[in-house]
Amino acid sequence: MALLTLTDVSVTIGKLQPLDKISFHIDKGEILGVVGESGSGKSLTAMAVMGLLHLIGGKVSTGTVQFAELDLTKLTEDQYRRLRGRRIALISQNPMTSLDPVLTVGEQIDQVSLLHLGLSAADARARSIDMMVQLRIPEASVVHSQYPHQLSGGMKQRIVIAMALVADPDLIVADEPTTALDVTIQAQVIQIMVEMVRKLNVALMLITHDMGVVAQACDRVVVLYAGRLAESNSVHQIFATPKHPYTRSLIGCIPTDKLTDGELKGIPGNVPGVMNYPSGCRFHPRCPMAQERCSTEVPMLKAAGSLSVACHFSESAAS
Amino acid sequence: MATPSISNPMLMRILRTPRGGCSAFVLAVIILAALFAPWVAPYEYAIQNLASANLGPSWKNWLGTDEFGRDLLSRIIYGARTSLIVGTTSIAVSVFVGMSLGAAAGYFGGAFDRLVMMFVDLSWSFPEILLALILIAILGPGLASTMIAISIAYLAQFTRLTRAQVMALKNETYIEATVNLGAGPGRILFRHLLPNALPPVIVAAMLATGDAIILEATLGFFGLGAQPPTPSWGAMMSSGTAQIFIAPWIIIFPGIAIATTVIAINLFGDELIDALDIRQRLRNS
Amino acid sequence: MIAAPNLVTMKGLTREFTSRKGLLGKPRTMRAVDNVNLNLPKGKVTGVVGESGCGKSTLARLALRLMDASSGSVHFDGVDLASLGTSDLRSLRKRMQMVFQDPYSSLDPRYTIAQAILEPFVIQGVAQNAAQQAERTAELLNMVGLSPTVAAQFPHQLSGGQKQRVGIARALALKPQFLVLDEPTASLDVSIQAQIIELLERFQSEFGLTYLFISHDLGLVRYFCDQIVVMYLGRIVELLPNPQAPPRHPYSRALLDSTFAPDPLKRRVIEPLGGEIPSAFNLPAGCAFAARCPKASAQCKTQRPALVVADNGSSVACHHPHD
Repeated sequence: MALLTLTDVSVTIGKLQPLDKISFHIDKGEILGVVGESGSGKSLTAMAVMGLLHLIGGKVSTGTVQFAELDLTKLTEDQYRRLRGRRIALISQNPMTSLDPVLTVGEQIDQVSLLHLGLSAADARARSIDMMVQLRIPEASVVHSQYPHQLSGGMKQRIVIAMALVADPDLIVADEPTTALDVTIQAQVIQIMVEMVRKLNVALMLITHDMGVVAQACDRVVVLYAGRLAESNSVHQIFATPKHPYTRSLIGCIPTDKLTDGELKGIPGNVPGVMNYPSGCRFHPRCPMAQERCSTEVPMLKAAGSLSVACHFSESAAS
Repeated sequence: MATPSISNPMLMRILRTPRGGCSAFVLAVIILAALFAPWVAPYEYAIQNLASANLGPSWKNWLGTDEFGRDLLSRIIYGARTSLIVGTTSIAVSVFVGMSLGAAAGYFGGAFDRLVMMFVDLSWSFPEILLALILIAILGPGLASTMIAISIAYLAQFTRLTRAQVMALKNETYIEATVNLGAGPGRILFRHLLPNALPPVIVAAMLATGDAIILEATLGFFGLGAQPPTPSWGAMMSSGTAQIFIAPWIIIFPGIAIATTVIAINLFGDELIDALDIRQRLRNS
Repeated sequence: MIAAPNLVTMKGLTREFTSRKGLLGKPRTMRAVDNVNLNLPKGKVTGVVGESGCGKSTLARLALRLMDASSGSVHFDGVDLASLGTSDLRSLRKRMQMVFQDPYSSLDPRYTIAQAILEPFVIQGVAQNAAQQAERTAELLNMVGLSPTVAAQFPHQLSGGQKQRVGIARALALKPQFLVLDEPTASLDVSIQAQIIELLERFQSEFGLTYLFISHDLGLVRYFCDQIVVMYLGRIVELLPNPQAPPRHPYSRALLDSTFAPDPLKRRVIEPLGGEIPSAFNLPAGCAFAARCPKASAQCKTQRPALVVADNGSSVACHHPHD
């Protein structure tokens, strides 16, 4: 049984429905990439899993989020609190705001062990420093007593990763963990994060807009567009034989390793906002393969082995 | 992030709120009464009739008469003129001079900025009433002196506000883009910076007008403001103190007039602040 | 090999900033741009790539004299920018323009799109009657792929990609020869970024424009540019006249390795760069990159490497470059 399974999860915020019947799963120790552009609903997916939708006035309106033996949609806030940080940890985008500026970084990592594992202060400290060393933070014991403002962006993000890992969680949800970092630092942080989750056999839900990161780090990929699932497959299949026109176009938008002038092709049109989602298939106004049917009929998610795709023409889609 | 503008749709929305609508209504009544005073006021404000002195409210004199037999309602209506003229004119001048100084200081910086800020800090540390008293002591009492004194007393506020706005906005990318197109400081200041800096200044000016009216009344109370027979709410209250046991309405009604006007201004200003703030927050989300 | 004449030449371009710690602290100086020598061939795209703090944004502004240099010179079509008076400089600005990084703040929120696009004409004193204005606005909007209905709208009603198109239209309004693009697509979605790049490609070939393209995305720069310059802490560490050639400077290599290809078959293990980026106020002697470089030697820590030109026209500032 998968570690985390979302089945037909829809999220509503007031009268809007920015997430529509999303279904995917993550297995134990697997790295799943959740890819999408703005308005795709990827951050909302993270919030749904973490049970934080109420902070923005939203809620899971349909579907279930099955985490091991629990249905997360049925938990009370108290029950959820015991889960967060302990079995499911969150790494968010901006390390500047994830860390409390008035506590040392060491104290913040220690807190996790003290709270969730009931360790003594000395044991918690030792555990924190050990984790920091594993994350290749130089002079860990010195850094332990430093404040966030004394550290660089990349270093801060490693601290946040340490906080996520130290309670030995089953699942980490990382929402664009490296977007705010410089390129060389980003690469290192991704690398160390992947190394650690493999070592500790922790599942990782990596939310990003960067297909390069996905190719480098993930086992499987879920592609979201305008609040719906477009395609989901193993990482090799998704890049080699993308079945959804959006996935194909998205890969075609990435300049890295494209060599010929004019090879880079954008997707015409705009990414739709939640107030004006198109009817039928939400990608149809921008789709090179769009037909009559696409504007009226919502494509159902079809599964075949590792592939799930929501397109009327996926059978005839060549790679 | 630039401040949103005070637009017609925004004003319409403000008028629909209970706070905004009521205060706007009250202000409209006061302003219209002041504007059309010669037609609205039942009597001439200067006509004395000692036989009818200190009479309470009646059908003949709705708000009663003062110690000289003058109709209180008429005096209050004409007094509104004084308060409003002094209040709005002084603040308008203050805003004009303050914005000019503040914009120049904020945009050009350097020694001029330091000089301006020195002046601002100096006058900021004086309570307005003290500043006004000092200025009137130099200039002598009267309407003109009052207006000058009030203008100068509130100058610091607008200078500082505009300077802060200009300093914040001059680093916005669109300003850099406009410089890049070849625009000189004049165009940048008048076409881009000041228009964007205007909304918070307008709100501050509105609230300052309320303050200015109270200041004028205070000066009038001490006999330093508009000289008789020009009616002034503050002066009316002052002369009313002597009659407080025989004819308390002489002091009460002008007092109510002052309070009502200033409260209405403040409530409307609050509503305006909220409206600007919400737009700002919605923009950011 | 690029044989075109140079439209813009920068010699020894340096820009210093001084800051003082507190009221009584000693003033410290840093060089945001340090002794940059760069030629921009006419009709070609020159890319400047580097991470935050490398000075690329400052370089962009120096190239247009939006900021004055502390020393060194920038020549545009033979004219020394520093020698120009205010009105001459204003006049010259018709020929060199900039597209800014943040579409959200590059347009005055109180101006309609039409007003924003026509402002260059107003500033430069190009007289136009209402009909001409309408025509030119429609023409420019059409050129950047926007519907003419956009003209009456305000920036907040447009998407990021649309705003950036307006920024480009505004920059091209006066038909410049030279365009500086400061990370023009950094804040846009990938699919929109590609649209904008397509647009820029088209204009470049159609109008024979010269571009100075600033970016942190090496993948994009290698695709789009005819020659690449890599900057680190204000200095040029490598010049690549052939963007596809493998870089030789260890920092450029690290940058390339960190740019993940959208292909899982090309996964690589990166050698992590140790150490921290030194503070620009307190640069060590020797090579600025030595503290983090996997190939650093004793020489690197004491002797600053000069930019050495190789046979194929590339240059690299390193004592031990890759081959």
